[in-house]
Amino acid sequence: MENSWLSKFLPKDEYKEKRMLYFIAESAIILATLLFLFVLLNNYSLYGSSNTGTLALLSLGFIVAYILLRYILSGIEYTEVTSEKRYSKEKKAIINRSFIFLILLITAYVLIDGIPSDITKIFIPLSSAFFIAFFMYFVSYTSLKRSFKKNKDILDD
Amino acid sequence: MRNRMKVARVEKSLTQAQLGKKVSVTRQTISLIEKGEYNPTLKLCISIAKALDRTLDDLFWEE
Repeated sequence: MENSWLSKFLPKDEYKEKRMLYFIAESAIILATLLFLFVLLNNYSLYGSSNTGTLALLSLGFIVAYILLRYILSGIEYTEVTSEKRYSKEKKAIINRSFIFLILLITAYVLIDGIPSDITKIFIPLSSAFFIAFFMYFVSYTSLKRSFKKNKDILDD
Repeated sequence: MRNRMKVARVEKSLTQAQLGKKVSVTRQTISLIEKGEYNPTLKLCISIAKALDRTLDDLFWEE
């Protein structure tokens, strides 16, 4: 816990510290679930305004994004990547996964909305699909890079 | 995790609160470790062993 700013606000006693971390994590999960339900209710009912729905969605997004960001930057995802060979193999796998995801997104769009008659109508969904696939690649690649660096630093000589 | 911490602590004439103070944890944490309801970190195990003048084997090794 030494690497987290949260440790400054936690009890010194390690048992209490561990319990407190569980309580904080539980509250975050409950909060995220409630926000998700609120967003659903707000968007699909006559009650509530779009502003509160957007605010709830942004709050939910923050919880998810913060956890994802910390997870990626901590380098704990690819624990077995310790050699250049394995690194290259995983990098290729990430590119393949992102490409397959892009194809699936485009296929899903065509299946739901049908083949667009106008070329201009395909631009927004296609660019969205590219953006999502690139984001997926970027997240996985950053995580791989950080994991590889961390693994190299702690490697037994 | 079963351990022989309580015996060692009594032999050293220390209360749970005194031992807790020596290793910078609460009396409750010492009590939970003695009852086997909390697994302490290795860092805390070493601190406890040093405070009780015992080895880790003496206190925590299961035969």
